[in-house]
Amino acid sequence: MKHGQEKKTANPAFSSVVKSRLGGETITLCYQCGTCASSCPVGKITDRFNPREVIRLALLGEEDEVISEDAIWLCCSCYNCQERCPQKVEIADVMYALRNIAFKEGYIPNIYSEFASVLLNDGRIVGVSKFVEKKRPDLGLPPLQPTGVDALRKILSATGFDKLQQKKEGA
Amino acid sequence: MAEVKVGVFLSDCGKQLSGILDFDALTKYVKKVSGVALVGRSSEFWRGKGLQAIVDAVKGGKINRIVVAESLPKLSEVNIVQAVEEAGLNPYLVEVTDLKDHCAWPHRKTPKEATEKAKAMLLSAIERAKLLEPIDKLEFPALKSALVIGGGIAGMQAAVDLADLGFEVHLVEKEPFLGGLAARAGRFFPTDDCAICIQAPASDVKTITHTSRKCVYRSGFSEIPNLNILTNSKVVSLEGVPGNYKVTIEKKPTYVDELKCVACDLCTTVCPVEVPDEFNAKLKTRKAIYTRVPNVHPPVYVIDESVCKFHDCAKCVEVCPTKAIKLDQKSEQTTLNVGSIIIATGFQEWDSSVIKEYRYDDYPDVITNLELARMIDGFGPTSGVVVRPSDGKPAKKIVFIQCVGSRDRRWNPYCSSICCMISLKHASLIKSDYPDADITICYIDIRTTGRQHEDYYERAREMGVKFVKGRPSEISRDPETNRLIVDVEDELLKRILELDADLVVLAPAMVPSEGTKELAQIGLEPLLDEDGFFKEYNAKLRPTETRLRGIYICGGATFPKDAPTTSLHAHSAAMKAAKFITTGKIVKDQRTAVINEEYCGDCEFCPVTCPYGAISLVPTDEEHFVAEVSDLMCEGCGVCVGTCPLNAIELRHSRPNQMLAQMKALMSVNGTSKPLVLAICCSECGHTAVDSSGMAMMQYPANVRVMKVPCTGILQIHQFLEAFKAGAQGVMVVGCKSDGCHYEVGSQKAEKKVELARILLKEYGIEPERLQMFNMVFIEGDKFAEATQTMTKRLEKLGSLQLMDAS
Repeated sequence: MKHGQEKKTANPAFSSVVKSRLGGETITLCYQCGTCASSCPVGKITDRFNPREVIRLALLGEEDEVISEDAIWLCCSCYNCQERCPQKVEIADVMYALRNIAFKEGYIPNIYSEFASVLLNDGRIVGVSKFVEKKRPDLGLPPLQPTGVDALRKILSATGFDKLQQKKEGA
Repeated sequence: MAEVKVGVFLSDCGKQLSGILDFDALTKYVKKVSGVALVGRSSEFWRGKGLQAIVDAVKGGKINRIVVAESLPKLSEVNIVQAVEEAGLNPYLVEVTDLKDHCAWPHRKTPKEATEKAKAMLLSAIERAKLLEPIDKLEFPALKSALVIGGGIAGMQAAVDLADLGFEVHLVEKEPFLGGLAARAGRFFPTDDCAICIQAPASDVKTITHTSRKCVYRSGFSEIPNLNILTNSKVVSLEGVPGNYKVTIEKKPTYVDELKCVACDLCTTVCPVEVPDEFNAKLKTRKAIYTRVPNVHPPVYVIDESVCKFHDCAKCVEVCPTKAIKLDQKSEQTTLNVGSIIIATGFQEWDSSVIKEYRYDDYPDVITNLELARMIDGFGPTSGVVVRPSDGKPAKKIVFIQCVGSRDRRWNPYCSSICCMISLKHASLIKSDYPDADITICYIDIRTTGRQHEDYYERAREMGVKFVKGRPSEISRDPETNRLIVDVEDELLKRILELDADLVVLAPAMVPSEGTKELAQIGLEPLLDEDGFFKEYNAKLRPTETRLRGIYICGGATFPKDAPTTSLHAHSAAMKAAKFITTGKIVKDQRTAVINEEYCGDCEFCPVTCPYGAISLVPTDEEHFVAEVSDLMCEGCGVCVGTCPLNAIELRHSRPNQMLAQMKALMSVNGTSKPLVLAICCSECGHTAVDSSGMAMMQYPANVRVMKVPCTGILQIHQFLEAFKAGAQGVMVVGCKSDGCHYEVGSQKAEKKVELARILLKEYGIEPERLQMFNMVFIEGDKFAEATQTMTKRLEKLGSLQLMDAS
């Protein structure tokens, strides 16, 4: 939060929104002890991500700040914090819930957006490069077959992921 | 049985009801009811001429059942019942009904309807009175002796109190020495004085003054004539009934004759066995024959049988000048008969090694507050110097970590309540001896609730103790310097810190003691709460009583406590334990449950459900059992009645036929154009909520009829159907709050039963909304009035209930 008074844009219902989403159920248990913050390997190298702060902002209803900034995407999902949290807040899972909300609102860092695009097209998160294709026979591995993208597309379409991604790409 | 002759006494409560209710019509109505032998009218029946009229009628043999319509029955009932009893009639043959708060006042705007409802209420009282049976007064013996389990400050204090009152007291302590946790703690907040000083007993004539506060060893504690101290002993079995418990105690051998030992210390100089000293947090060693500290009580030496070489060595025996050492001592079992029992088994530190990232098991320089207390104690292993256990060098940089396992939903969800103060006390004690010490306390919230407690926080800041808001995530160790590193976020600065430390002190959660766990194993487990502490019967009103009469609890056995609260608790428990046995007898009405042995199917439902352990199964032959109720332990709630699937249990004062007669009577007259509602209220909070709505003149329609039962837990599903059959269009069940039931589980049982009944109603084609459970307390009279209106409107919408005729 920046200096000054409580933001007028704060959404008091935001914590309930997070709570109602898969992974976000435990968010209101947080009592801000900071165990997560000093457990976090990302936090050790950058002050751009502090799980305690993200949760505090979410609990205070600072929706815009939480979903529009990079912090939630910097969690490396090591689950160190979640293992140690004395209130059993599923912190890493809360980050996923927040990312889902952010993506729905059109916020996603470009690198993730690129992953999503590859996923929709190839059925893989990491695209297969020519280098990899050449290297496989040397290692005695069979050539890669195209993946069954259809089933995956159906799922991604049912969840609305494809439309959100298209919107993002169009933007 | 003699002919039933009911006397009905109608009071207009100082004429305040006569403007609303038509008393002439009521008199005329009541006179026609069969069994009514006398109808009296007055402006008050709870005292004076009115009461005398009742007494005269009883004495003259004109009546043998009494119905009184009087206001505020809960106050006036006592007078009436006492007078009737003195006149020679059993007090349980009196039925009082409240025409003011339950009828005239809440229906004052519809006087005609109110009068009709009053008729139904009177009829209900008369029908119930006709079926009432005399209830006997029972007397059980209570031994004027007490057992106190646990010799810490709570147990010692309670024992002194009871002994001062003249009772025979047995104090059992499982360790060889008294003092419990306090003996280890050294000093206490908020006084900073020694932990184990106690109030001197009255028998110590030379020292007893109003101000006397004595170190245990010079308090005369062990010389109290009527106090039997059993150290190194534990309770192995507990049998019997309140007032007459049979307790078996096992006293383990210490191999030293307590009376002969003069604590000269010669034995330890020759003893060749050296082991780590548990009492001193293994920071020093002791011999196989040992004592604790100079002021230990009793002041004797004992042998640790797990390490002593006994006859292979016996050097101590040779050197002992008083021949006090008895290597052949055996453990002894004694049986004590006591009237009441006080449990004071205390608490202990939680095992911090469970939180692996704090490395309590791996790093010797990570210690707990209790271990630090031993170091700060001048009699302790380091003579008062705070050192690094790894190399014995003074610890200059100390980090405290709060809430280790406390406020932790994985282990102990509660706040242990005293650890903040313990760390503040330790930090300031160290700072006052070593002003240069660098001390940091890492905390989530600092909690200093109590007189003078905040002063400690202030003083610590003034002395330069640093506070970091943040719970550390991990402790590691620099492989080269062996110094500890504590990872913590300073939340206020939003910085991740690596604090360097000589010594890390953990403030672990306080959890139930081993002694508590042992008592749970010998049958007291039902008295524990979900965290394993002994649970008080009522946190507000009965903080040192359990739901079992005759068993009391105090001190840390109920929850972690500081010394002042422990002391308070001990005095309270002693008073309650004394009150229970002081007359030598327990007088109680037989208003209890009774089993119809013919129907009982030995299903074990009732013994398991009874909150008071009053029901047991006794064998009738080799294969069969029958439930048996202890009149002494039964509290008369009727939860067993509601649980019995075979209708084999009844309450003597609330039999099903009495309830049915009441229901039918209440539904016999409507007088309003609205659908009849039966509100079945428990005699505690539920019924008082009805009172309060009337007292406050809150208005609700007169189609609502109130029936009182001891506890909603007594209700059986078929009774709801009976109510509908009797003419009720809707049934409200009004009980105490789920977790505030006066009989522990009654409200919850009723809630479940109503839920189940609603499913069944649907099957029978009756709308489930016609039946609803409510939980109310006295001050929620408005909720009662509102609920009746909602129910009435709902029933009007549903229309008349059509029941198939079973015949």
